[in-house]
Amino acid sequence: MQRNLATFHLPPEHRRKLQEAGFQTVSDIIEVSPIELSKELEISKEDALEILQLVKGTNITSSTALEKLKEEKELPFIITFCEELDTILGGGVPLAKITEFCGAPGIGKTQIGIQLAVDVQIPSVFGGVEGEAIYIDTEGSFMVHRAVDIAQATVSHCISSIENNPKLKEVLNDFTVNSILSKIYVYRCNDYIELIATVNLLPQFLTEHPRVKLIVLDSIAFHFRNNFDDMALRTRLLNGLAQNLIRMASQHKLAVVLTNQMTTKIKSDDRGQSHVVPALGESWGHASTLRIVLFWQHNQRYARLYKSPSRKEATVPYTITMGGIRSIGQQNIDKEHKDGDHGDDECNPRKRMRLDE
Amino acid sequence: MDVNELELHPRILDAIKRAKLTVEKTLCLSAADLSRLTKLSTSDVGHLLYEVSKSVPRIPMAIALDIKEERCHASLKVRYVKTGCEVLDDFLRGGILSQGITEIAGESAAGKTQLCMQLCLTVQLPCHMGGLAGGAVYICTEDVFPSKRLHQMIKYFNRKLGPELEMQLAVGDHIFVEHASDQESLWKCINQRVPVLLARGMVKFIVIDSIAALFRGEYDFSEAAKRAHHLRSFGDQLRKLNQQYNAPVVCVNQVSANMKGDSEYGRYEFIPALGLSWSNLVTCRLLLSRTSMTIDINDPDTGNNAVAKVRTMEAMFAPHLPRDLCYYVVDAKGVHGLR
Repeated sequence: MQRNLATFHLPPEHRRKLQEAGFQTVSDIIEVSPIELSKELEISKEDALEILQLVKGTNITSSTALEKLKEEKELPFIITFCEELDTILGGGVPLAKITEFCGAPGIGKTQIGIQLAVDVQIPSVFGGVEGEAIYIDTEGSFMVHRAVDIAQATVSHCISSIENNPKLKEVLNDFTVNSILSKIYVYRCNDYIELIATVNLLPQFLTEHPRVKLIVLDSIAFHFRNNFDDMALRTRLLNGLAQNLIRMASQHKLAVVLTNQMTTKIKSDDRGQSHVVPALGESWGHASTLRIVLFWQHNQRYARLYKSPSRKEATVPYTITMGGIRSIGQQNIDKEHKDGDHGDDECNPRKRMRLDE
Repeated sequence: MDVNELELHPRILDAIKRAKLTVEKTLCLSAADLSRLTKLSTSDVGHLLYEVSKSVPRIPMAIALDIKEERCHASLKVRYVKTGCEVLDDFLRGGILSQGITEIAGESAAGKTQLCMQLCLTVQLPCHMGGLAGGAVYICTEDVFPSKRLHQMIKYFNRKLGPELEMQLAVGDHIFVEHASDQESLWKCINQRVPVLLARGMVKFIVIDSIAALFRGEYDFSEAAKRAHHLRSFGDQLRKLNQQYNAPVVCVNQVSANMKGDSEYGRYEFIPALGLSWSNLVTCRLLLSRTSMTIDINDPDTGNNAVAKVRTMEAMFAPHLPRDLCYYVVDAKGVHGLR
C-alpha cells in the first residue's frame, strides 16, 4: 500500500497531475472514488477510472528465484529431433521464451520451423507438449508437402517406439498426419503492415485457441530489410513486435521461434575484411532470449548456440533428411528402422527429454 | 483502407481524425504514442489498435490441412509449372514452384536459357496438363532473344501436342519478349509494362535472363552496399508481382569462381553471383553445370545419333527439395533429364 504512484505504468501527464494534486502512494488514492478523482485532477471520468483500476488491480506478486526455477523446470521443451541440438538448448526449444534461428539461405531455417510446428504436437505420454502451432510465413516458403513429410516421419517414429502398449496405441489413433496438419495455423503476411496487424490480433486468437504452444515467425527480417529506409522506424517497429511476442510467450507459456537472415558486415578499419552476421542490426540482438546461428562447414550443417541465459556456447552438427531435422548419428538409426531392426534404447522418446537432469 | 470505415465509437474516430492518422501510421505507433497523440484512454487505444489491425486487408488464416487439400485462398495454394520432362519434374517434386523467386544459375552454356524457354512453352499448357494456362514474359538483358531456337523448340513441342491443341494454344503467340539493357529500363519494365500484362491476364510467368548482367558490371567494389540496396528493391518488386498475380518468377543468374574455399560452398568450383543480399531473396536456387561426360542421343530430324554433353542440375536450396542433383541433356527438342 505504500507503493509510490510514480512507479505505475501511467501516462506521464496523469503521473504529473497526481503528483501535483498530492497523491503519492497507493494508500492516498485507494479510497477515492472515480468521480472525485476526475474532479481533483481535472481529467475525464474514464481516465480516472482507468487510473484507479490500474492501481487497485496491480497486485505485485513477487516470487522467489527458487519458485521461478521450479516453475521453469515444470515447463516442457519442444524437442527438435536432433539430439545434440536439444542438448545444447537444455532439452529443446523452451516455452515462454523467444528463440531465434539465424542462417544463410538454404541452411534449413524453414525446415526447423516446420519441424517444430509438428513436434509441438507430440502427445504428452510420449514426452511431448501436445500443443498447437501458429506459423506466420512472410517469405512464402511454408511448404505443406514438407509438413506432410515431417509429420509422417514423426508419426512413424512414435509408432515404432510404443511396442504393443495398448494404451499408447490408443493415443496414436488420434495422432495422424491429418490431425497434425489441422493444428498448424498458417498466416501469410505480404508486407510489414500486415505482419504488425497479424501480431496485434494474435492475443485474441490465443484466447480462442488456448492449446497453441508455439508461434513460428519465418522470417522476421524479410519485410524489414527490403525497401525499408527509415532505420529509426524499423528499430521501433521491431522492438514493438518483440515486446508483443514476449508478452504472449510469457502469458500463455508458449514458445516463440523466429528466423532471421544473415548479412555481410564490412569492417571499416581493415580493408575488404568482411564477415557474416545476423541481420537487423545490433539492437535486435537483444530481442531474443536464445539465439542459434546455423552455418555450413566442411559440407556439413552446424548449429551454434550464440546467446543463452543458461547454457554455454556450443556448436553441434545436424542434418536434414526427408523426415526433417536429425542428428548425424540418428540418420543411420532411421535407416535401421526401415530395415525392421528396432534399437530399443534409441527409439524411446522419453529418454531424450531433460538430458540435463 | 480509410479510417472512416472502421467500426469504432464516433468519439474514437474523431480523435484519430484530429490526429490525422491513417491505418498505416496507427500501426506504426506504440500504444503510448497513440494515447499521447489522440488523447484517448488506454483501453480506447487498445480497442482502436485491435479494430485497425482487423481492417488491414490480408490473406485469412489457413489451416495447414486445408492448404494441403486446396481449400484455401488462391495465393496460398502451392502450384508447380511442369518442365516438360518427367524426370526433371520428379527431381523438382512437381516442377518450378509458383511461390517466390526461382533462380537458375550456371556457367555459360549450361543450358539456363534453354530451360527458361522450355518453361515459357509448358506454362501455356492447360492446368490439368501441368501448366498455368497463360502466356509468359521473357525479359532479356544479356543477349538478343534467341528466337530461332525458340521456333525450333516450338516445332517439336507442337508435334507432341497434336494438331488440335496446337491450334488452340498457339504457343508462339503468347511469349512476350522484352529487352532491357540497363537497370533503369529493367526497373521500368517490371514496374510498368509487366504489371499491365499480368493484370490483363495475358501472362502468368516471368523470366529475367539474366539478373546478374545488369548488376555485376555497374558497381565498383566499394559500392557493395549500394548494389545490395538496389538488388533488394528489384527483388522486392519481383516478389510483389509474384504475390499479387500468383505468377512464378524465374531469374537466371551467372556464376563466379569460388574464392571462399572452405565455407558454405566448399565443394563448388563456381557459386551463383550477386552475393548474400540476393540469395536472401531467392526462394529456390537451382545450379546448372556442365560435366565432361557425353551421351549418344538420337537426332529427331535426321535419325542419326549425335553426341550430347551431360549436364547436371543441382537443387542448392529450396523449401521443398533436398540437396540433390540430377543429370540432363539439351537436344533439339529441349531439355531432358536422365535417369
